[in-house]
Amino acid sequence: MLNFFLLIVIYAGIYALMALGQNMITGYVGILSLCQAGFFAVGSYVTAILSVKLGWSFWATIPVAVVLSALLGVLIGLPTLRLKGDYLAIATLGFAEILRTVINNWDSLTNGPNGISRIPKAEIFGLTIKSKYAYIAVIWFFVLIVYLLFERIAKSRMGRALEAIREDEIAASSMGINITKYKVWAFALGAAAAGLAGCLQALYIGSVMPGTYVFMVSIMALCMVVLGGMGNFAAVILGAFIIQLISYFPQMVGLSNIIPAQARQILFGLILVLMMIYRPQGILGRKERKYRKTTKEASK
Amino acid sequence: MSSIAEFFQHLVNGLTLGGIYALIALGYTMVYGILKFINFAHGDILMVGAYLGLFIFNFLRGGSAMGPWWFVAFILAMLASMLICALLGMTIEKLAYKPLRKATRLAPLLSAIGVSFMLSNGAAWAWGTQSRKLDYPFDNTPLNVLGISIAPHQILILVVATIMMVALTLFVSKSRMGKAMRATSLDQSTAKLMGINSDQIISLTFGIGSALAACGGMLIALDVKVYATMGTMVGLKAFVAAVVGGIGNIGGAMLGGLLLGLLETFGIALLGIPTSYKDAIAFAVLIIVLLVKPEGIMGKAEKEKV
Amino acid sequence: MKKFFVVLLVALVAVTAVFAGGAKEAATSQVKIGFIGPLTGDYANYGVRCYQAVQLAVDEANAAGGINGAQIILYAEDSEGAPDKALAGFEKLVNNDKVCAIVGAVLTGETLAIAEKAQEEGILLISPSASADGVTDIGSYIFRTTPNDGLQGKVAGYYFAKVLGIKNLGALYAKNDYSQGLYEGMKEAFEAAGGKITIAETCMVGDKDFKTQLTKLRNANVEAVYIPNYTAEMAQQLEQAAQLGMNIQFLSGDGFTDAQIYDLAGDFANGVIYTGPTPGAENQTFINNFKKAFGVDPGTFSTNAYDAANIVINAIKAAGTNRSAIRDAVAATKDYDGVLGLINFESNGDIVATTGVYLVQNQVPVFQGNYTVVDGVLSEVK
Repeated sequence: MLNFFLLIVIYAGIYALMALGQNMITGYVGILSLCQAGFFAVGSYVTAILSVKLGWSFWATIPVAVVLSALLGVLIGLPTLRLKGDYLAIATLGFAEILRTVINNWDSLTNGPNGISRIPKAEIFGLTIKSKYAYIAVIWFFVLIVYLLFERIAKSRMGRALEAIREDEIAASSMGINITKYKVWAFALGAAAAGLAGCLQALYIGSVMPGTYVFMVSIMALCMVVLGGMGNFAAVILGAFIIQLISYFPQMVGLSNIIPAQARQILFGLILVLMMIYRPQGILGRKERKYRKTTKEASK
Repeated sequence: MSSIAEFFQHLVNGLTLGGIYALIALGYTMVYGILKFINFAHGDILMVGAYLGLFIFNFLRGGSAMGPWWFVAFILAMLASMLICALLGMTIEKLAYKPLRKATRLAPLLSAIGVSFMLSNGAAWAWGTQSRKLDYPFDNTPLNVLGISIAPHQILILVVATIMMVALTLFVSKSRMGKAMRATSLDQSTAKLMGINSDQIISLTFGIGSALAACGGMLIALDVKVYATMGTMVGLKAFVAAVVGGIGNIGGAMLGGLLLGLLETFGIALLGIPTSYKDAIAFAVLIIVLLVKPEGIMGKAEKEKV
Repeated sequence: MKKFFVVLLVALVAVTAVFAGGAKEAATSQVKIGFIGPLTGDYANYGVRCYQAVQLAVDEANAAGGINGAQIILYAEDSEGAPDKALAGFEKLVNNDKVCAIVGAVLTGETLAIAEKAQEEGILLISPSASADGVTDIGSYIFRTTPNDGLQGKVAGYYFAKVLGIKNLGALYAKNDYSQGLYEGMKEAFEAAGGKITIAETCMVGDKDFKTQLTKLRNANVEAVYIPNYTAEMAQQLEQAAQLGMNIQFLSGDGFTDAQIYDLAGDFANGVIYTGPTPGAENQTFINNFKKAFGVDPGTFSTNAYDAANIVINAIKAAGTNRSAIRDAVAATKDYDGVLGLINFESNGDIVATTGVYLVQNQVPVFQGNYTVVDGVLSEVK
């Protein structure tokens, strides 16, 4: 059982990265994007293609994947970000579906529906990453880095601008905040985090196929954000962990030997509904940031 | 086969597909018009409707060939399935969405996804994972009209879809309840002040939307097969159709549905887009329409007040 | 509201404790085997039918006294058709349940993902349906009871060109591993034999409306159309082709062996020529037993899954529950008389296969011959 729990910790870490990105976009700026699955796929495929076809080391594929996901985020973000609310949600969902269709059809690059398998393992200091503990260390190291980075951004001028945009876009723009610029930045950061998650997923699973990157993945990332608490990076990581624990719990304790597979899914749906009804603001809720007084105020 | 006949062949195929999309898009658009949330479980209600219609129809037929009576049995099965699905939709609204009216807008969205999980997996559990077929109670040999093959079931789909859309339009524009629905979707709190019971109207909207979905499910059952995950992609595309037409707008949903059906057919047939990109067509159209006219083809732009 | 989560947490811990305790009580007179496949989601039907076939094999073995008196327990895990879920199921079967062999997975992609881990762990993985080239090359612990797409496609291609004399062919295949694999194998052989693929249309898995593609195929004036796909989709295609007034020869692959095709497509299935496994003597008994047990016809890969399970059970009977001994026993399988016919394995774990060719007449497949391809030459095997 310990072994299986470690697996959950690994999956939770990968999804936590995606959820952190989603939180930057949805929780922080208030843009309902359903595109994380697309960026996740891009990250996975970059790692798979570069390391299998060109023989790159895993670590070298990460910057490429992250930058490419971010660029794609900008590319998708620029036109769609002027849409409102649910229109934006459905447009981004559309982009994710188009991406998946392209991956499924671009046989020469992505190997089409068969996907790419036998992705080589990563090495660090001459040691191959093989055991679950090693994977946990690597994956959660990245989670920590992204968490610290995002927290840092949230406290910066950019973070304040993003919050202002979420609370009232018109007021923010009249204060001189360049709304499009900040929104696109947030979108790119969120996409980059999902791309990074994709790299790690490809490394751990060892194979990629288009069927993995369905829109349910985006929904999961969104669930983790809402369940943890919108706009609260630490809560989102907790949300990722809880969602993964719930979905793999029946397997971990052997409940899946007794109840049929559908019942497991029904149970998951039921828990989702109940959680929304009883705790719509998430477990930890939004984190209200207290900003330091400006020097002028402080000196009064 | 002449190219004109080929054109009309694709037109007939596209209209059949579009009619079904339009019918389902109506349910989305009505719910969205009032509650402003994407009911992701709509496609699954469609699936339940298709199963119920199939079971009731088979029960009424009792395995016998029934001559012209099949039509009565078919209509009865459809009405029964629509009624049950209306009740199902209203129950779901009461249990899973109503408690969330004041919560953040994401909460009902996720709750709907939970409901969708429960419905589709519940159906697979209860009724198995194999596809089922609604046996045509009539001779479905295609009619050949000037080189175009039209199957009788396609005609039936178009007729039923048209009747449903006309009936809905009349209901919403003429009846008292319909007016109350429009008022509620325009401004819920003012409608309340005017003595409209908005809870009741929302419940009614869910009922009607779900009944239309069930009807759409029956039509899909006529055209293709019935299985537990049949609602997912159709539901998503119908939602796209609703958005393309201008969400919240009943005429827009119909137009969007037909447009999407025709575009999917002609995009592949005439523009030479590889068929495996078919699903991408719907989303590409969606994105282009939204970029050119963010409120959809027939939607009205709302000026944001400061 | 915090209470809700406290209660939830307590419940989770309690359930964990109960099941963890229960798991340890497993008696020694049990033999555990695992199954992995998509039991929910879009591919559920293929996974569930395979799972039921394995369950049937296990139940029959248990009814006949089990393995040297020990009862066989089958643990099935849902892969949802995705590699990460399949991997979770694999971890659970290997580490929690400590099964001694696994039948699965069903789709090629998920099988590739778990095959490497199976090789590392040293546990037998025998897939009833992962038919893409290269699956068994991952390692010595990986077997399958379905011929690879390459062979089936090759037989199909040469048969269409040489025996049926078709010169120009249209195709409609799905963009998934199984259907595309068959199409590519067929295309290679068909073109090598001098035929020409005039038009190749594609569709997605789960598509229901093929009228656009079929209209294009109808207008392309081909002699025949190859539709390698799953049962429900093929039924749909045949029916819609008839609705479009297409009067053309349809050709298919082993998806057609599923008897459900006759429920779904009815008379539209008549005249279709397809390649598929040649059933052994026990095939009809298996179909009857399956129907009796589950109330539905077995699916496309159920026979392969049933044989895979029986081969594993026989191996355990012969070699005990040691994982590597089971592997060796399976590799040494000699002329196993299964519902698929006589089964032997190549050194890489592929089934030594011949492919039958059938013509459907009055909703009954009529056997046309048994073929294999050696060095680019089609030869009939008696």
